[in-house]
Amino acid sequence: MIFSLVFALAAIILAAGLGSVRVSPSGIMAVLANKLFERPLPEEVTASMVSIIWDIRLPRAVSAFVVGAMLSVSGAVVQALLQNPLASSYTLGVSSGASLGAALVIVNEISIPVIGTLMLPVTGFAFGLGTVLLVIFFSSRLDNNLRNHTIILFGMIVSLFVNGMLTLLSSAYSQHMNRLILWQMGTFAGRRWEHVGILLVICLLGLAAVCVFNRELDLMSFGEEQSQAMGVDAKRSRLILLILSSVLTGAAVCFTGVIGFIDLAAPHAVRRIFGSSHKYVLPMSAVIGGSFMTLADLASRTVLSPQEIPVGAVTALLGAPFFLWVYFGTRRKR
Amino acid sequence: MKAIECRGLCAAYDKRFLEKGEAVISDINFEIKEGSSVAVLGPNGSGKSTLLKALCAMIPYNGTVRVREKDAGTMSRRDIARNIAYMTQLTEIFFSYTVYETVLMGRYVHSKSVFGSSGEEDMKIAEQALKSTGVEELKDRQLSSLSGGELQRVFLARTFAQGSPILMLDEPNNHLDLKVQAELAGYLKDWCGQPEHTLIGVYHDIPLALELADSFILMKDGRMKAMGSREEILDGGLLEETYGFEVRSYLGRIEKLLK
Repeated sequence: MIFSLVFALAAIILAAGLGSVRVSPSGIMAVLANKLFERPLPEEVTASMVSIIWDIRLPRAVSAFVVGAMLSVSGAVVQALLQNPLASSYTLGVSSGASLGAALVIVNEISIPVIGTLMLPVTGFAFGLGTVLLVIFFSSRLDNNLRNHTIILFGMIVSLFVNGMLTLLSSAYSQHMNRLILWQMGTFAGRRWEHVGILLVICLLGLAAVCVFNRELDLMSFGEEQSQAMGVDAKRSRLILLILSSVLTGAAVCFTGVIGFIDLAAPHAVRRIFGSSHKYVLPMSAVIGGSFMTLADLASRTVLSPQEIPVGAVTALLGAPFFLWVYFGTRRKR
Repeated sequence: MKAIECRGLCAAYDKRFLEKGEAVISDINFEIKEGSSVAVLGPNGSGKSTLLKALCAMIPYNGTVRVREKDAGTMSRRDIARNIAYMTQLTEIFFSYTVYETVLMGRYVHSKSVFGSSGEEDMKIAEQALKSTGVEELKDRQLSSLSGGELQRVFLARTFAQGSPILMLDEPNNHLDLKVQAELAGYLKDWCGQPEHTLIGVYHDIPLALELADSFILMKDGRMKAMGSREEILDGGLLEETYGFEVRSYLGRIEKLLK
């Protein structure tokens, strides 16, 4: 567990240090000490280095970490809730809803002065959450007991429907297609501390709220019937957890676009290493998912530098082998 | 004290069917005294499992169910679980926990802290429950590595750990070999030794039911055909009528083969 935290810290420092301008870890520490505690800078650290690290790389690395953490935690929650190891935070239609919202903003070139650059994320978030609520509403209408397969089925149907509208939209407004596709692929480029602040607050609140339900999640992963028999108000807990995880995913997606794989794989890797108990799975998914996303983003901007590879492609390309290694190569230990 | 009482009980899995009058079980009336052991018998699809779920207020129902003299309709899930420990039939396991973690989950209803960490007493009770079903050596094993019989004993331990005075079991000896079945009957008999413990079980295995229970509920086509003592259901061919099958002559034939 301590190893994972060290790993996480190392990932962020590495992401801050590597790139076209290399900065040593001690240089990064000096910048941090200067910015946070107003310590004087050593001579070898130049002003441009400070600006690169503090204004560009660190916010980018930290926001990648936070987004990775949010996606993994909500992935872990949804998998346990739906008793389905193949489910992820995207199963409920958050990503397609958010994409549609973002697409509507891009296509109509809407911009409201007050919200400014936050227009895209706010709309994306609202649409993402709206889609999930639609899925839950339809499922509960059709099936009073709100069973897992009904939710999964409706999540898929609504996602496909919304994706259809998205395709229609992007073909009708082909002049915006590039921007639409770029948004959907996801990127951490140009993230600033304001973004990090918003994401971090949502992430920490969401994580804490979800952790309150760690035992309910353990019990519910045995199915609704067994969890109720052991005293869980399964319907209520499920509704709260579905909404919490959708908020986490929605917030992550609306600031960065749709980045796959981590939400699915990180919780599995964590269960493999730390066991299935959610008091470990939830915080460790955040740490492992976050570290992994930071490294994936680092790879996305350095491997073919100066060109950037979409980070979603990197997560899958690096993640699949890593996942195989974790799954087949390690024994469970704590 | 009455452990369970139900009056005019109708139940279905979906509220809409219940409103339309298409209940899975209907018009069930009985009471079960504290300290007794009751077997629910009947052919497949007669509504035995549905009855247990309705008694735990886990599915929509009409009529009254009283759990230890309190209206189940006014009780929270936690309240009900503190009074009834219900062991469902085995289901597929998607995420593997250790045996100890699983048994400790039975203590959920007693957790008080925000993040639900288990106290020393919970751990003691979980250890005790592991011992009472003979799985203490499996403590650190993963559920995914256990056989069906071991799993069933682990889940029974989890149900014991819940510490509720009423135990409901749904076909506890499904998939078990004969030796494990006999052991299971032993654990259950031990548990029934306490005067405040009430056991209600759905059994397919009639000899096991006869061994464990002192009174019997016979279900057929979603209705209660009879409730009575061993003698009452055996005399007059009630058992045969319920199953539509010569139960005793069949069991007798098997006994002869064994001699």
